[in-house]
Amino acid sequence: MSQLLEILKPGFLLHHALYGSAVMGFVCPLVGVYFLLRRLVFWGVALPQVSAAGIACAFMLQGLGWSMLAGAETQEKHLAIIGSVVFTGLSILFLAVMERRGKGVSEGRIGALYALAWAASILFVAWNAAGETEMLGLLKGEIVAISENDFHAMLDIFGLIAVVMFFFQREFLLVSYDRDMAVTLGRSVLVWDVLLYLIVGLTVSLGVMTVGPLVIFGFLVVPPMAALPWARGMMSFSIIASLCGGASALGGFYVSYTKDLPLGPVAVCVACGFLALSWLARAAWSRLKGRRAHTALPAV
Amino acid sequence: MKEPLIKFKHACLGYGGNPVLTGVDFEIQPQSFVGILGHNGSGKTTLLKTLLGLIPCMKGQFTSHGANLGLPRYGYVPQKERLDPIYPLSAHDVVAMGTYRKLEFFPRLRGKDGRGLIEHCLAACGASHLGQKAYSDLSGGQKQRVLIARALATEPEILALDEPLAGIDITTQKALLKLLKQFKEQRHLTILMVSHRIQAEKGLFTHIVWCDEGQVVMGPVDEMLSHGRLSEIFKAEL
Repeated sequence: MSQLLEILKPGFLLHHALYGSAVMGFVCPLVGVYFLLRRLVFWGVALPQVSAAGIACAFMLQGLGWSMLAGAETQEKHLAIIGSVVFTGLSILFLAVMERRGKGVSEGRIGALYALAWAASILFVAWNAAGETEMLGLLKGEIVAISENDFHAMLDIFGLIAVVMFFFQREFLLVSYDRDMAVTLGRSVLVWDVLLYLIVGLTVSLGVMTVGPLVIFGFLVVPPMAALPWARGMMSFSIIASLCGGASALGGFYVSYTKDLPLGPVAVCVACGFLALSWLARAAWSRLKGRRAHTALPAV
Repeated sequence: MKEPLIKFKHACLGYGGNPVLTGVDFEIQPQSFVGILGHNGSGKTTLLKTLLGLIPCMKGQFTSHGANLGLPRYGYVPQKERLDPIYPLSAHDVVAMGTYRKLEFFPRLRGKDGRGLIEHCLAACGASHLGQKAYSDLSGGQKQRVLIARALATEPEILALDEPLAGIDITTQKALLKLLKQFKEQRHLTILMVSHRIQAEKGLFTHIVWCDEGQVVMGPVDEMLSHGRLSEIFKAEL
């Protein structure tokens, strides 16, 4: 209890890490709901890995003498962001174009991209003679060491993402649910798809840098899965998923701090705990409803 | 004769450079009830998708204009199986999509969402009681009513339905056809309905568009359904 109070104090040493992981937990599921609904869950696996490969590539280039932004810590972060955004953006473009063409096996393409991204990440790390340890830290995500400036930048960007996701929910829903209907209503499916993919790219790129590929995948997919059985409409789906993600991040932070465990994996385990609870509760609720309906049947 | 709503002249329709229907030549007048008929794979859906602007006309002329000389407002009813049941939407949410024509910033900020129109459309389709139910839990006939309500919520000039009676029992089919007839008469809608059979609905159609072997022929319903005419065009038997 005393440790919980310590964490909640305004002067808590790791307060940026606490609030940062909470922001990630609340916002990522807002984007992740569309991964689930559009049946693009595998994108959630592949894109963080691609983003990690982008970070590794940027650092490798720097190590090989392409030191365009070398030097201070902030510049290294910028380098990582550029690598992450470029790789993620190009991959989304490739996947989206292939999806629209509708040829080939979608899962196969994503699987191949994932394997390539993973292999490339390892190779880029191996080729990077300088700063391997620091880069591995970035790849795993270093939210505990997040600086004041990075925290505020993250807050601004993820805040904007949350606003866009809520404000344009109708449009994203329409083009995801019934593309033909969207066209007959005069809506440009391409424009809304591009906006959604841009948001996905931004979320994944920044998320991977902040919490690492494993955690970003966990936050994108697991809270929406936990929320889906209880959702009654898009708004409730987004809100429940977001609350579940935020609670997982905060719960994960508490467990990580008190038990001295790595934050990311603990947060993902807590989210999976919520998922298991959600499924169990849903099964119990369905059984209870079935029993009630059975007892309410008139006697023949 | 009124100005046609839709006009094809020597048109060629298809996907990705592959023609499916050639020599398409017909006009659709306002307030007609047109059955787009043909066997599976005959190009009915290609024709409907071109009409709706989902795919471009490959060659020839295709013009359509509504009351204000702009594009006509379509109320589209897709095949109900096409909509993914994973979405956690109520019937009300599905009908609400019909009101998403405009990107209205301020009404949205004020929380105005066309609730009255949605409820009116659900009531017109006899689906008021379904509003709060999960769309994915509805029966085939109930889903079709909700999709027609969604199409009405677009305040259409043309109602375009893709196989609305497929997989629905005969009693519900009759009820849905009665509903469509009522909309045509009361709201003066033009209705285009794709079907691969004509038993239940032939009494409603004013015109029939036949698609077969890459060709399209249109005519008044009596003429098109006469045995001799059908044999002549498609060597088919009713």
